[in-house]
Amino acid sequence: MPISLRTRYTFGALAGLSLIGSLAGCAADDSTASTDTGSGADDSSSSSAPAESSTGSDTSTDAGTDSGSDDGTDTEAGSYADGTYSAEGEYTSPGGSESISVELTLEGDTVTAVTVTPNATSGNSVRYQSDFAEGIADVVVGENIDDLDVDRVAGSSLTSGGFNEAVETIKAEAAA
Amino acid sequence: MRTSTPHAQHRFDAIGAPWRIDTPEPLPPEVVAAIAERIESFDRTYSRFRTDSLVSRINREPGVWEFPPDAPPLFALYRSLYEATGGAVSPLVGARLENLGYDRSYSLTPNPESVRVPSWDNAVAWDGERLTTVRPVLLDVGAAGKGYLVDLVAAILTEAGVDEYVVDASGDLVHRGSSPLRVALEHPRDPTKAIGVYTLSNAALCASASNRRAWGSGLHHVLDALTGEPTTRVIATWAVVPAAGGPGPAASATLPTTTLPTTTQPTMHAGTLPTQHRSALHTMHADGLATGLFFRGAAAFDFDFQYVRMLADGSVEYSRDIQGEMFT
Repeated sequence: MPISLRTRYTFGALAGLSLIGSLAGCAADDSTASTDTGSGADDSSSSSAPAESSTGSDTSTDAGTDSGSDDGTDTEAGSYADGTYSAEGEYTSPGGSESISVELTLEGDTVTAVTVTPNATSGNSVRYQSDFAEGIADVVVGENIDDLDVDRVAGSSLTSGGFNEAVETIKAEAAA
Repeated sequence: MRTSTPHAQHRFDAIGAPWRIDTPEPLPPEVVAAIAERIESFDRTYSRFRTDSLVSRINREPGVWEFPPDAPPLFALYRSLYEATGGAVSPLVGARLENLGYDRSYSLTPNPESVRVPSWDNAVAWDGERLTTVRPVLLDVGAAGKGYLVDLVAAILTEAGVDEYVVDASGDLVHRGSSPLRVALEHPRDPTKAIGVYTLSNAALCASASNRRAWGSGLHHVLDALTGEPTTRVIATWAVVPAAGGPGPAASATLPTTTLPTTTQPTMHAGTLPTQHRSALHTMHADGLATGLFFRGAAAFDFDFQYVRMLADGSVEYSRDIQGEMFT
């Protein structure tokens, strides 16, 4: 799965922030250039990759020197060096201009971790950013429960008796 | 399904959901009876679906209401969730749930004249023992009540000397024992699929989703008390809270089955969940946090727990230290 898709989902969770562009500088593939809508001019100053070396420190260093070159001449298409990348983005909220620091870890072309550090000052932005600052964001694929070796399934509470019957009654009346 | 450990099952329906208790040996009749009695007692206080409950009486007239000794931890948790979510999680959504059709008779028909959810401090005052109301209010403890009842039932098992069990109240479950439980996290949009598997060991796991207690377009049971509307941004949550101290008789020994400290403060530092009952009441906390995650990210709750939540766009957020796998 291309990284651009995953990062799009990632930031979809952040109340419509559009700061993907500044991350594109970390990527060496042309396919992500289309997401480079924003602060391209800031790339040289704001992109610093890798922020911290992962287990594959050699490739991370290489990625760092490549960052900011969107011409895609030096790497095979569709492949990104493992490592941790960081970037800063700016956006305008109703409360004014805000900035945000994003760090993401790539392993085998997959985003394995995203950390968002808020630099926000206004109320809502502080809330949305800090709420999310510690977790991992990703896209999941459902797998068949029948194929899994599990003891239980946990979802929303099953309802016993009356509620389900009432819902069925309502549906039947609506269809009549 | 695995059948690794031979065990006995005790199944029943209570507070509107199927329950299942798994133990190595069949439960003695007196323990089964004690569990039924505890659930009945809880229901008689907190159910808004029966006319003889304390909650229904509070909905008829204002007054000063004495609550049983199990109330302080529940009110304390609600207050901290209320503050951590800026008022979005509230026990005062009962009238609005009825108004939307989730009522005693399951009319499931919204009243065109909507009612507002009152703010906590305008409508009620909780002093740690008594609830003072200045108008009729309909409490709904759906955000944490079932998890709390799971803790109370688990305490009966512990007191009876049962040290390996799974109490599963459908969506809220607690595990205790030496062999971990593998729990599939059900996809909220396809109950035949899972988005991950959690390995649960001596911890409580509570799930919440807007897909089942739902009745019609956009109508479900997770209400934002600020707007009075069902939530839309998050569609499913899971929260896991470990039993402090792990397995062992001490873990549940302090459960408030008989006496409770009455010093619970009615107000707490915003966003801080009460710590005094943390060790024993982990299912209640997991249940409440699962509800809170519909309104705020995990960082908004000053509490040590693990979580997964799925947003309406299908993406997920989950904690780094999750004990299990996500199908990403």
